Amino acid sequence: MKIALLGNPGVGKSLIFNQLTGLGVEVNKYPGSTVTLECGNVCYKKEKIELIDLPGVYSLDGNSEEEVLVRRFLEKKGADIIIAVLDATKLERNLYLLAQVAEYSQPMIAIVNRIDDAEGEGQVVDTGRLAEIIGIDVLPTAASLGKNIDRILPLALSSAREPVLFIPYDHHVEAATRTLEKTMGTPRYKNLLALQEEGDELALRDAALSISREIEQRHRMSVSQIIATNRHNFARTVAEEVVKKSPEKRQFDLDRVLTRSFPGIPLLCLILFSLLLAVFVIGSAMEALIVQTFTAYIINPFMTLALPPLFQKLGFSVLVALEAGLGIAFPFVFTFYVGLSILEDTGYMTRAAFLADRAMHRIGLHGEALIPMVIGFGCTVPAVLSLRLLKTRREQTIAAFLITMVPCSARTVVIAGIVAAFVGIFWAFSIYLVVFVLIIITAVVISRMTPGDQFGMIVEMSPLKMPRARFVLQKSWLRIKEFLFIAMPLLIVTSIALGLFQYFGLIDVFQQAVAPITVSLLGLPAYASTALLFGIFRKELAFETLAVLAGTADLGSVMTSVQLYTFALVSVLFIPCISTIAVLYRQMGAKVTILASVYTVFLGMMIGVLINILMK
Amino acid sequence: MLPSLREDYLEAILLYTSRHPVPPSCQDIATAQHLPEPDVSAHLAELAAAGDLTVSATGAVVLSETGRETGQRVIKKHETLQCFLTEILGMDSSFASNEACRIEHAVSDETIGRLGNYLRPSGIQVGTPGNLSENAVYHSSCITNDPKGISLTLADCEEGDRVVVRAISGRSCAKRLLDLGVVPGQQVSIKRKLSNRSLVVQVKSCDVALSPEIASAIFVERG
Repeated sequence: MKIALLGNPGVGKSLIFNQLTGLGVEVNKYPGSTVTLECGNVCYKKEKIELIDLPGVYSLDGNSEEEVLVRRFLEKKGADIIIAVLDATKLERNLYLLAQVAEYSQPMIAIVNRIDDAEGEGQVVDTGRLAEIIGIDVLPTAASLGKNIDRILPLALSSAREPVLFIPYDHHVEAATRTLEKTMGTPRYKNLLALQEEGDELALRDAALSISREIEQRHRMSVSQIIATNRHNFARTVAEEVVKKSPEKRQFDLDRVLTRSFPGIPLLCLILFSLLLAVFVIGSAMEALIVQTFTAYIINPFMTLALPPLFQKLGFSVLVALEAGLGIAFPFVFTFYVGLSILEDTGYMTRAAFLADRAMHRIGLHGEALIPMVIGFGCTVPAVLSLRLLKTRREQTIAAFLITMVPCSARTVVIAGIVAAFVGIFWAFSIYLVVFVLIIITAVVISRMTPGDQFGMIVEMSPLKMPRARFVLQKSWLRIKEFLFIAMPLLIVTSIALGLFQYFGLIDVFQQAVAPITVSLLGLPAYASTALLFGIFRKELAFETLAVLAGTADLGSVMTSVQLYTFALVSVLFIPCISTIAVLYRQMGAKVTILASVYTVFLGMMIGVLINILMK
Repeated sequence: MLPSLREDYLEAILLYTSRHPVPPSCQDIATAQHLPEPDVSAHLAELAAAGDLTVSATGAVVLSETGRETGQRVIKKHETLQCFLTEILGMDSSFASNEACRIEHAVSDETIGRLGNYLRPSGIQVGTPGNLSENAVYHSSCITNDPKGISLTLADCEEGDRVVVRAISGRSCAKRLLDLGVVPGQQVSIKRKLSNRSLVVQVKSCDVALSPEIASAIFVERG
């Protein structure tokens, strides 16, 4: 038995999903897409039920990856029962999606979530009347209070049925669907889709094209507009009947502070800066603790086993990879994710995107691109994955370049470990400053060079609310799991490869080959090239390798401040790590990946050489 | 009182008010409409009782908020219909005005909205002063004769404005807007506008942030 949750973004779908499944969630990649589906198993009356959390969508007719995925899922009858999750505070807009889902005629029930919030706003939803109109059972819930959550599965299993609602479309559209039904033999929902120039069946789309052109001529409106208007009108009629509104209580609106240029923008800068500072401080402290413990209780005992050299090297590589993974994942990435989840759960992220819209326009992007960039401070990999939030190829390309330059957690480790520790905390921040300036210059240049149209921001502002510790931690945990899932295997494999390289003496060969560049152009010790090379596998490895090769953890005693600064800056800029290259290739293709890699190498070298010349 | 008569009155008072510095008295309305004063007086009392207007101690007739809204709606209907009848169907303007006077009471807002959309791309401006007949119940010109009003976009609106979406230009970007409820005929209020014309609009009780280039592709009308 498979049950899928479907609804608008931000209706509390994931919250319901988490409450129904607990934390035993597996994240599945849907074939051929980067959108993830969360699946979890529940046992109900000795029957195993697979619960699927579909990505939040506003419509089924669009061409975004999420919309296409949900549409195909419904077309293939991916689940036996659909649970449509509606938001009581925005019932009208949610009914618009429900009206579309209903056209697929699959057994379903509806949940009206956030009734507590709706009541707070003076709105009462008559779920009984709603059930009569749409012909399926409707359950009111309040997921954040856990109210009625336990009744969802019993209701879905006992009384899911096909909805009976009929949306009266414009008569030209109706005539067109009937014509297509007769000539092509396709169901109504497919015809409606084809008339909007969407869907997978090309023959149907061809047939629909001439008809839809004619309708557009006649109405002077696109078919999508006509259909959307009809559906919204239907949703409005239903909402007017089932929602009883009492005059809204006038409350102090925080948005009066948050979304104005002043004090909104200074506040935004302050919030982002404190997030980074917190990650920096908490991360460094926790990392030291984890690494010390790990070395003392696991690595050192392992080394005393005195295994044969090759095995010892392999075992050591695996352990070092684990140590580094944990040393990055929990202190830096997890701390960052907690901060990010708080920003998201309070609804602040959308306000940040709105405020950043203007600045982002200057660099050929728009407000929505702020989100991948901020995620990039945690880890570049999920940031690249979130590029699909942006709608045009042009925006994705520009943002991809910039994300690879944003200092991620691992790079924070390099900056903290080398510059903050041996040169000074202000110099550490100056590296951020240099990187930001370079990001802006890069953005201005590539936004001029990248072909394509500018598309703007259309973002729904999530309502402001207090984040709850449990949900924030849950969300951060799911994210860190994804991070470990992607990063850990790569870390271990590359660590083993590097161990073997070292074992067979290939490292020295490389070091000598590039020595002229490292020593004369960058003014660094010869072994720094190896450290930089290791940085390709994992950024923070550049720092660790440097310490190993220098033969001391007190780097200040073997390298000058200028050398340390140069090394940190070069390794921060120098080529994205291998995990990033892998996801970048999958998301954006070979061309962008190669260009971004070559560009960052070039940039890193150039800045290094520049500092070397200036400081001589 | 017949709904159509009520609408005619509100329309006439609104037109008078918009053209004269002082509100009309009962007598002014009677003269303008060629009606006997006692009848007008009785009708005004009825309208006042219904909350459409107030008659002050000095005899000045002032429309209430609902009365004004109704009046504006009827005037817009009249203008749109008359425009359609003369410009598209080629009817005589005085006949068209009489005809519009009758249809305006029965036609829905939806039809008028769509008729307006239909007329707009052909370059016809609803609300252009035509040669309106003197026989009409009132001497119609255009209260909303604002040439900017035709090409008003969301980006031109100010914080606190409430407007109605008329059309969305551009194909590719429109889909997400449509899904969020920004469709022709939808009322939208502007919650926030920054100096670069980025907007937060409220539509169907949801707040939506828009970039300036998106906002300037949404044509609206002050409601």
